[in-house]
Order: sequence, then C-alpha cells, then structure tokens
Amino acid sequence: MIAAGAGTTADRRRTQPAGLSVSDLHVRYGSSHAVRGVSFSVPAGRTLALVGESGCGKTSVALAVSRLLPAGATLEGSVRVGGLDLACAAGRELRDARGRVVAYMPQDAMAALNPVQSAGRQIAEVLRHRRGLGRRAAAAGAVALLAQVGIRDPHTAARRCAHELSGGMRQRVMLAIALAGDPQVLVADEPTTALDVTVQAGILALVRRLVAETHMTLVWITHDIGVVAEIADDVAVMYGGLIVEHGPVREIFERPAHPYTGALVRSPRLSRRAAAKEPFDAIPGSPPLGEFPPGCPFHTRCAHALAACAERMPETLQIADGHRVACHLTGQRA
Amino acid sequence: MARYLATRVGLGVLTIFSVVLLTFLLMFVVPGDPARAIAGPRATPQVLALVRANLHLNEPVMTQFWRYLVGMLHGDLGVSYIQNQPVATLIAQRLPATAELGLSGLALELILGGALGVWDGLRPKRSRLLAVVNVGLLSVPTFSLAFLLLLAFGYELSWFPIDGGTGGSRIVLPALTLGLFGMPYYANVVRDSMQETLAAAYTRTAVAKGLSRGAIIRRHVLRNALSPVLTMAGLDFAILLSGVVFVETVFGWPGIGQLQTQAFYDVDRPVLMGTVVVAAVLVVIATLTIDLLRMLIDPRTRVQAR
Repeated sequence: MIAAGAGTTADRRRTQPAGLSVSDLHVRYGSSHAVRGVSFSVPAGRTLALVGESGCGKTSVALAVSRLLPAGATLEGSVRVGGLDLACAAGRELRDARGRVVAYMPQDAMAALNPVQSAGRQIAEVLRHRRGLGRRAAAAGAVALLAQVGIRDPHTAARRCAHELSGGMRQRVMLAIALAGDPQVLVADEPTTALDVTVQAGILALVRRLVAETHMTLVWITHDIGVVAEIADDVAVMYGGLIVEHGPVREIFERPAHPYTGALVRSPRLSRRAAAKEPFDAIPGSPPLGEFPPGCPFHTRCAHALAACAERMPETLQIADGHRVACHLTGQRA
Repeated sequence: MARYLATRVGLGVLTIFSVVLLTFLLMFVVPGDPARAIAGPRATPQVLALVRANLHLNEPVMTQFWRYLVGMLHGDLGVSYIQNQPVATLIAQRLPATAELGLSGLALELILGGALGVWDGLRPKRSRLLAVVNVGLLSVPTFSLAFLLLLAFGYELSWFPIDGGTGGSRIVLPALTLGLFGMPYYANVVRDSMQETLAAAYTRTAVAKGLSRGAIIRRHVLRNALSPVLTMAGLDFAILLSGVVFVETVFGWPGIGQLQTQAFYDVDRPVLMGTVVVAAVLVVIATLTIDLLRMLIDPRTRVQAR
C-alpha cells in the first residue's frame, strides 16, 4: 500500500519532535463558555484521544490548539509546543507556527479542500511555502506525499479535485497537506467519522504508522470509543467544557472511574445489541450547551448523583499512575 | 460533452424560435398600422390597400410568420418599411457604435463594481462607501443619472461634447452612465461572494497552512469569489450589445437602441423584429459561452456535463 519507504519520512524531518502542553484553556463564544479550564499534556510521539459527545467542547479545544477559532471567539490559557506558547502567538510568529508547529485535520475534507484546485496543487502549495521548493519539485513532492498517505495512483490523484475523489481519498489528501508542513503536533478533529468502517480502519492504521515514524504528537478528537482503542495511548474524556477523566487507554477501558466514562466505554456494545433487537441503554438526556448547571455538569444525567454533585465542582484526583478523575463518587470512596 | 453541447444548442435554438414567435405575435397586438405610417395620415383607402398588399399584410398572421422565419434562416431579416434598406444592413451599420458603448460600459461596471466589492468584502462589516453607493446609485433611475451627468459634465463644465454621435471623448458620459448604473449590482454580488468564500472551510485550510493573508486572498478567495460575476457579466454583455435604448437616446448615440426606438415610433415592424432577434441570438450565445467558461474555471460543473 505504501510506495515511499519508511526512511523517507524520518530523513525529511527537520524539526525536533516536541510535546504539547495545554493548561487552563478557556474558550468563549460571546456569553457562551464552551471550554472551562482544560489542562492536559501529550509527550512527543504519543497520541491523546479527546473523547466526548457533540457539544462537550472538544472541537473548540481542537480549534483553540490549532489557533483556528472563528473571529469573535476568545481564547485564554496556554498552549505550549516546545518553547512556544501558541495561545499568545500573533502575527508573523503565529503564521510561521501554522502548519509547521501545529497542523489541523478537519472532519469535513470535502469542504476543507478548495473545490477548484487539484489535490496536488493544494499539497504543493505547502511544500513551496514551507520548504521553499520550486514548482516542479513541489509537484513531485506532492505526488510522493500522496503515495506516502497510501494513495495507490498518486499521479492521477494529484490532478483530481475534491469532488472527483472518494471520501477516504479526500481525508488522505488532508493528511498529506498536514504532513507537508512537517508538523510537531497534529490535531485531527474526527477525520474518520464520515467514512465507512473499512476505510476508517485503513486511515487509522496509516496515521498510527506515520506517528511512529515521525514522532509527531497527535491529538485525535472523536466521539467513537472504538476509534480510541485503535489509535490512542492516552484518553481525555470531556464533558460540559471540562476534562472529567484522563488516563492511559488501558486504565480508561478497564477501570473507568467517572460514570460518564463508564457509560461511554459500554456504548460500543450498543450496536451489537441493536442487531440483536435488544433495547438501547444510552445515556439519558443530552449534554448541556453553553449554559452549565452549578456543580458537576454531568449530575443532571448521572445515575449515581449525590447531593454534593449539584452544589460544587468535584476536585480532580489522581487515582492511579497518570489516571485522574473529577467526580465526587471517587472522592467519597477514597 | 458532445451530447451536452448538442442539448444546449438545441435549447438555444428553441429559445430563439419562441422569442421570434412571441415578438411577431405581439406586433399584431400593439396598436398602430404600418401602412398608415408609411403612406401618411392623408392617404386614401386605395393607397393603403396597395401598401398592405405590397407588404403581404393581408395574409394570415401564420403565413406572414412562416415567410419571416424562412427569410430569417437565410439571413434575411426583411426590409425596413421606412428606410427601404435591408434590416440586416441597418443593424450591421450600427453594431460598431453599440459594441463600443456596450463594451466600455461593461468594462466600467466590472472595474468599479468589482473593485468596490473586493475592497468591501475584505472587511467584516459593510462599509459606509458601499452603503452610499447602494442608496445613491440603486435608487436613481438610469435616465436621471444620464441627465445629471449630461448636465454637470457636458453642459455646466463643458468637459465633453454633447452634440451626439460617436468619436473622441463622446463615449465617456454614456459609458459612465452604464458603468455607474451597473456598479452597485456587481459590488454587492462580489461582496457577498467574498464574505462567503472567506468563511469557507477551505479558506480555513489555507490559514492553517500558514500562508500570508495576501496569498490566501489571491489563491483561494478571489478566484472562487469571482465566479458569480462571470454569469452576470456574460448576460450584461449580451444585453448591452443588443443596444441600450435609453442611454443611446439621451446621448444621441447612433447605436442599435436608437434604431429600435425610432422603429417603434414608425411601426417599422421588420426593424423592431430584427433588433429583437439579434438580442435573442446574442443572449443565447452569451449564456452558452458563460457555461463553457465556467466549466473551465470551476471543475465541479464539469461532472454534470459528462
């Protein structure tokens, strides 16, 4: 499937791998407080999955880390990659960081590709801009990148526009655009959600391999707990603009401490139950949007809620090595 | 592609045929007797009858239509009742003047409207300049604008000759009238299109690449934003080339519009018909050309064409 050898990626790498460290991140859209103080760090070459339902603030975190929040959104806190704080970067410094320090891979590749430009040209643009390649060298580089992201006929694909490519190919082109900038951190916002299961599996395998080769730091946003098991080293579970649980992927799957994580981890079995015509036991209700209740944001839907849950936000406690949770139930047990 | 083209050309021919039929029938609804217009108010019934017979006006309408259609297919648009010259010749004589005015007007509205639209489209809020242009130019009818320019720059300031006809700087005022008249339409379309393109996800991709604002706008915004302008300009091109009745009349510009106006007063049916046929053919050719051009610019439209 892969035309270019594994060595080419490592040889091409010019920047030192760096981890990502986010602390006390807040995102506001007018009066709506979408992200309410999120902190996490991802060591270089590791993959963090940011999990949660729609509306929990995970896309806002992704856009904040990539500095692509829409005009009118405000960003507080720090987003450090190496010695640079992306949250404070502006002007020239920010522009230089884009695509090189942090690259962003969106969910909807169809919309994210310029409809009137060929895939090759859109990849070559980054190569010319970031590596100062000439027209021919950049075009050849684009074809090589397309081969690297597992496109079988890269010469033909390079000439195609978005609408002439399949959904999986479009996502691979987006990945090639991101790789062209040789980024230290890649933020992927549910890039496989709209794809078939088999196509998704192919892309997940590809990304995992690329992360291993390039030592990129990867933040993978998803609501699909099955994808988390495929790709992540660590998992951060978001709810109501907060990270409610954070830990290594095995810990999270085997010993989920937060009731919300527990419900999420059990959710993949839903599909099998549906096939067996058993009733669903989804999490009742929907996540709060914009306005949050006092206390733990999940208490309105939590089956185990205590009186304290509605009153004050639980503290974040370390319950195992690298496993942290914010839940009053854990506090009581301890 | 060949099949698509054949369908489009077929539809175009059908459009022209319908326009010709409709206009022909309308000629018989509009009051006015061409025989009377030719022979004069004091002509005797015998003279009138003779004139009618000469012009085949006594035949059934459908026979007359058939005669016209056959002639048209042979490039014969008939002979003017009043000027006794082939209509095709009359139109051909006036085409250069109309083309000069039409193209200048089109260029001006494109430049003025396009520049204002791009400038305004790059700001998050609608600028005051565009608001002024909208209120000032959209609310003023063409004839007031034409007279205003004529009065200010022709009469008071005497910058341009106002004696009618073509040549020299006489083109400036009528072209400016057309340009100012079309400008707000282009400015608004370009502005809206710019805003839409700037908000598009692919523009965000360009930002994420770390490109400069200038490069983003040049490579990703402008080309995508200007595609609706092509449609507008193509239609304007056809309409302006088939004569601008009012501006030509006000400025005494000897183009097809003026010919049409005169023909209307004279009940000169062949000339009127001729100008309408030419306009219909131009519009059909222009729309087809726009669609082909758009396929060249925007690959998305090519899929349907296959």
